[in-house]
This record gives sequence, structure tokens and C-alpha cells, in this order.
Amino acid sequence: MVPTPPRSIAELFLGFLSIGARAFGGVLPWAHRVLVEERRWLAPADFSEMLALCQFLPGPNVANLSIVLGRRWFGLPGAIAGFLGLMALPFVWVLALATLYADWATNPTVRAVVSGIGVAAAGLFIGTGIKLARPIAGKPAAIVIIAGCFVAAGMLRVPLLIVLPVAAALALMASKMRAL
Amino acid sequence: MLLVLFLYFVLLSLLAVGGVNTILPEMQRIVVETEAWMTGAEFTQLYAISQAAPGPNVLITSLVGFKVAGLPGAFVTLAGFCLPAGALAYWVGGVWERFRDAPWRKLIQRALLPVTVGLVFAGGYLLATPEGVDWKNALIATASATVLCTTRFNPLWILSGGAIAGYLLYA
Repeated sequence: MVPTPPRSIAELFLGFLSIGARAFGGVLPWAHRVLVEERRWLAPADFSEMLALCQFLPGPNVANLSIVLGRRWFGLPGAIAGFLGLMALPFVWVLALATLYADWATNPTVRAVVSGIGVAAAGLFIGTGIKLARPIAGKPAAIVIIAGCFVAAGMLRVPLLIVLPVAAALALMASKMRAL
Repeated sequence: MLLVLFLYFVLLSLLAVGGVNTILPEMQRIVVETEAWMTGAEFTQLYAISQAAPGPNVLITSLVGFKVAGLPGAFVTLAGFCLPAGALAYWVGGVWERFRDAPWRKLIQRALLPVTVGLVFAGGYLLATPEGVDWKNALIATASATVLCTTRFNPLWILSGGAIAGYLLYA
């Protein structure tokens, strides 16, 4: 299936609106689902490339993604439309939730349900990671880098300002030697 | 006050390589210790709200602004945090498109992909284990990842399952 970009800025805005509207527990799994699987604006490899670029730039990853993709398709107006679409509903909801929070924060049932949703959302991240990893799963060097980043940033909690440059330098060497 | 808020978040924006979580400790230091706008417990509560609400976790910045200066504060912190990084992303995105077929870009792309995947796994692991690893977290997260990868169910069903599992296991 050949991906087709959005035909209008309105379509772009609505696409990112639908990402933000449903993004419980994190935006990335929903961004992948909407852009690659539902609307098919991007090929899977293209999504991975753009996400990788945005992860290395400062600032929120998926917000950067909305800006870079919006620009690619419709220039500056597209970048603004993508960003506003992504942010509009979550901005309203998070402030509404903050206003209501005092009422339900102490209820143990509510806390249990919210924890369950949070952990399931974390599972969506891991599942999205598996989808992104499929094209490179056959390369030993890629497996080593994936595992190294996971252990350093996830289990040992080494700051990203250290993990990113070290991992990028090692990966570039591997890439130059055609191991990736 | 609004200007001070704005400038702090502009500064944080350019330090936030890899996302908002990178600068959370620094943000906490500024709002709790340097400026004493709220207590540490209040900051943690805002973080919990930003995690529970649907949307990007960058909205923790709006919550801090909202708490400090009301609705204008919420806009100012979000704009301060997103504008500098957004402008950089806009510029780099243009360069990236222009060199679409350059060999060096392909080299970098092949290198960045496994790093990105490793960091996505790390993010999922951190979100799944807010108070350490136990069998309940492991069960829910594994089930959720498996269903996402092997079926075409809408993830909202998976999250609903997580809500039920949370009720049964944690309550």
C-alpha cells in the first residue's frame, strides 16, 4: 500500500487532533496508529526515520514530529496546523482534570483503575517499539544497541544527555562499517 | 511574573533533548526550590495529572504555569517550552528534506533507528514500573504489548482492559 499524504491542511489538522484526542498514557502509540495504519500518510520506515530525527532534537518528540511533517506537506501553515491539532484537546483536558483532581485523588478505586490504564499504556509503548524494531531485528549490531539503550536509559536511569551522544556515536560507527 | 515563567521554560526547552522527562528534575528544582512556587508534593501531584490525562506529557509545563499564574500562565509556559524547540525542529526538518538522498543522511538514519527503538522500550519500561517491577505490572504491560502487536484491535479496548485489570489487581 503506497502512502498518500493528507490532501488539505484541514485534513492534517483533523488527523493530529485525532491523535491528541485519544492519547491516553502517551502520544507515540497513537501517532504510529493514525499516521501509518489508519490514515496511511506515512510508510512505516518513513515514520521511524522522522521519529528518530525528532528524538534527537530538543523538546517534546511528537510535537516536533507534528511540526516537521506539517512543514513537509504544507510549509509553515502546515507546521502550525499540525502542532495546534495535536495540542488543542489535551491542553483543555489536562487543565480540566487538574481542576477536578482534588475530588478523586484520594479514592482508592479510582487510583487502582488509573494505575491499570497507565501500565496498559506503557505496554502500548513497548508494543509500538516492537513494531518499529521489526525491520532491523535480524541485525546483531542493532539488537546490541537496542538492548544497550534500554538497559542504560530504562533500567539504570542514566540521563539521556549522556545516553544519546554515546549511543549515537557507537551506532554511527556500526553504520559506517555496514553493520546496521 | 509571566515573563519570568516564559524565560525559564525557553531555557528548559533547549535542554530537553529526548523529551520532557529529561528536564523534569531541573523543572522541579526551579519551581520548588529556586522560586518556591509550590511544594515538592504539589509538583508530584501535577506530574501525576499530566500522566493521567490523554495527550503529550509536555502538558506538565501548562499545569505548572496554570498553578503559578492561572490560564495565561498555562499558555505562556507551553509556548515558552515549545517555540524554541519547535523553531529548531522546523529548520532541521527543512534541511533533512533537502538532503533526502544524500549518503550521509542514510548513514545517520540507519544509525539512529536502533537507538530510537531502545529509547522507546526504555520509556515504556519506566512508565510501567512507577514503583518498581512486580508481577501485576509485568502481566498488564505484557498483555497490552502482545495484543497491540498481534491483533488490529483499537488500543482503546486495550486501555479499557487495563482499567479492568487495575480494578481487579490493585484495588
